[in-house]
Amino acid sequence: MDDAIRLMGVRKTFGSKAAVEGLDLAIERGSLTGFIGPNGAGKTTTIRMIMAILFPDSGRIEVLGRKSAVESKDRIGYLPEERGVYKKMKVLAFLEHMAALKGVRGAGLRQKVFDWLARVELEGVHAKKCEELSKGMQQKVQFIASVIHEPELLILDEPFSGLDPVNMRLLRDLVMEQHKAGRTVIFSTHVMHTAEALCDHIVMISRGRKVLDAPLAQIEREHEAREIAFVPLDAGAGFEAVEGVEGVASVRRTERGGAALIREGESIAEVMGRVAGSMAMSRVEILRPSLEDLFIDIVKRQGEENVEQVRASIREAGGGALAGVGAEGGEA
Amino acid sequence: MNRILQIAKREFMSTAMTKAFIIGAFVIPGVCFLAIPLIIRLTMAAEAPKVVGTVAIIDRSGAAADGVIESLTPEAISARRGDEVGRIQEAALAGEGQELLEGQDGGDGAGAGTEDATDGVPGTSPGGDGARSLQQAMRMADRVQGLSDKIPEFTPLVLDPASADEEAQKQRLWESPGEGESASSQLLALVVIDADAVRRGEGQEQFGTFSLFHRPRMDDRIVDEIRDGVRGAIREARYAAYGQDPAWLEALTTVRRPAVREVTQEGERSSASGLAMMLPLGFMILLMLSVMIGSQYLLTTTIEEKSSRVVEVLLSAVSPMQLMTGKVLGQMLVGGVILLIYGGLGFGALAAFALADLVSPVQVAFLVAFFLLTYTMMASMTASVGAAVNELREAQSLQGPIMMAVMIPYFLWLPLSRDPNAVWAQVLSFVPPISPFVMMIRMTSSDPPAMWQPLLAVAINAVACYGFLWFAAKVFRVGLLMYGKPPNLATLIKWVRMA
Repeated sequence: MDDAIRLMGVRKTFGSKAAVEGLDLAIERGSLTGFIGPNGAGKTTTIRMIMAILFPDSGRIEVLGRKSAVESKDRIGYLPEERGVYKKMKVLAFLEHMAALKGVRGAGLRQKVFDWLARVELEGVHAKKCEELSKGMQQKVQFIASVIHEPELLILDEPFSGLDPVNMRLLRDLVMEQHKAGRTVIFSTHVMHTAEALCDHIVMISRGRKVLDAPLAQIEREHEAREIAFVPLDAGAGFEAVEGVEGVASVRRTERGGAALIREGESIAEVMGRVAGSMAMSRVEILRPSLEDLFIDIVKRQGEENVEQVRASIREAGGGALAGVGAEGGEA
Repeated sequence: MNRILQIAKREFMSTAMTKAFIIGAFVIPGVCFLAIPLIIRLTMAAEAPKVVGTVAIIDRSGAAADGVIESLTPEAISARRGDEVGRIQEAALAGEGQELLEGQDGGDGAGAGTEDATDGVPGTSPGGDGARSLQQAMRMADRVQGLSDKIPEFTPLVLDPASADEEAQKQRLWESPGEGESASSQLLALVVIDADAVRRGEGQEQFGTFSLFHRPRMDDRIVDEIRDGVRGAIREARYAAYGQDPAWLEALTTVRRPAVREVTQEGERSSASGLAMMLPLGFMILLMLSVMIGSQYLLTTTIEEKSSRVVEVLLSAVSPMQLMTGKVLGQMLVGGVILLIYGGLGFGALAAFALADLVSPVQVAFLVAFFLLTYTMMASMTASVGAAVNELREAQSLQGPIMMAVMIPYFLWLPLSRDPNAVWAQVLSFVPPISPFVMMIRMTSSDPPAMWQPLLAVAINAVACYGFLWFAAKVFRVGLLMYGKPPNLATLIKWVRMA
């Protein structure tokens, strides 16, 4: 097996609380894996164990074929959730220091730092002190620190939290670029649609247990769409025509129009054509269950009482990032 | 190893290559070094304003007033000053400031010891404490300075003892001078001489004396001037009253300063001076300073790394043990720089007084060895405290016991340097972490222990160092990522078990 990371029966408790419970995990080399779950699910603890910053109470961890990440730290890039910079240090000095700690030395280093700064649109900040940068800028500097030694494995813990859409896209492109260069990338997030947009593999954990571990394509296949959303051209029109369409089991009203549930065994493509033809429509589309719905579904089955709270925590980054710091902090 | 050195390099650069450190470590001592002689010279050159005023005399003995008037003339004052300068020069040539002030008793005459406690505490043994010799040195400097002041201009005013109202005169001392009153008529002091000051009373063993009342906030050197004058005058009056020859009595009561020599295997040499007594203190303070500064910076940078959350970024590249080792090494270099600067200054000062041979290379070698050991012990403790807490404020309660280890020897310095080979001193010099301080004091004292003792202490401390590092590494690792409630000692011990 050529896995970048393997976890076997990993368990970690803090006091009486189990943060991670019997976790088995295998991350293929070259994959781009999203590690998702609500705040306090055990994402950061798992990542810290992978990085050998924390040690599991029981179970085994292999990273890049070695028994511990300590032995392959130069080949791993890590952007922790609890990330900081030396406030008084100049950006250039900070990045050179971090690179030197990861074994990058020599004459080319300084040029490399300048190149990277240019790529993240931070030209000319190298002489500034880290504390003079905005939080988003600091985050980009930290990202550079995690990739400057061209690691085989890149682990990013909540890399997009606190970024504006422009920088988020920039960082997302950089992550994709690392992935395309053949590197194994794992990133954790509690914002599902980020994961949905980027990853080819999803690992979902909740309350310290793995609840989902599959390629995104497979998840989409397994949780095939069974509903067609439509918006009639005439907003006031009734849905009788759609209800009468062959293959439609039932129709429910949604915020903007309706959603038709397809009968078992019917082809969604065929039914969709019939729905579109049944009345004048401004829009007809397949209603895919989002990762978010999926997650809520799984959590519900697990018997989580505060479903709404979980839903809120995984929907958007705003505020969630802050809450994340608090929750993870208490847990650690 | 490269990573440890990289951490150490950053640690050193971020601490020692800052303006604050350079000013604190180089500029301030440098300025002091240059400025102190300058300030002394300036204050010595600066002349106090000339004092002008009246000294009222109520002479109940009826035999001393003329002598007092005579003693307060500018000529008499300047003659007395001349004598004193001569004495100071004589003592300075002998290189022993301490005995100058003791010898002064002889010069002042027989009655000095009973007259004024501040002037003539009987000489302590040459092995007396350094604090006293320091105080004496300051007094000497004060006197030298006083001698260069302008000679005061006193106008004597003899009052009839039968009619004079002592209380009214005292009142004049604190009242401000009236309109049109000239400066010279302003009353500075009132001298009241007892009736039996010159001739002993019937059946009395002691002579009477005099009282000196002066204005509030008067320069104490002027008071001394008047007091010395009156004292001299009464002495002269007594000689005359009993028909004694002053020169003969002077010769009779003066024993010239003895030569105090230490006899060693290599031969005779002048006895340990006050400066030599300060040597153990100097060595201890040097050790304390470098250890404290290094570990204090370590505490600050560790807390900063933790609170700015840069620590996990670092932990992605280095292990906690490497991080701690690097930081301890980096600050060790900072402490070493401090040791070098201040040790160098101290040695330079000794060399300037041609006393460099007081310090032996063996002592310096042990100083360095003890610095490395004590620093490592202290630094590993402070590093673990820094990792355990969230902010500097929380560190204080945990730092307390650590600082105690440094402060205990400081309090023990005096008894230690007096009796460096007492049983308790020997025992303490093997108990880490205070052992290096105690051993350093004993080694630089006048009676150093046998060489096996410091060597054994080094060995014991090296073992202790290992233990300290082991404990610290565990607390450090667990503590680094712990945020929240500040831990107490019990929590720290739990972490050690956990790690």
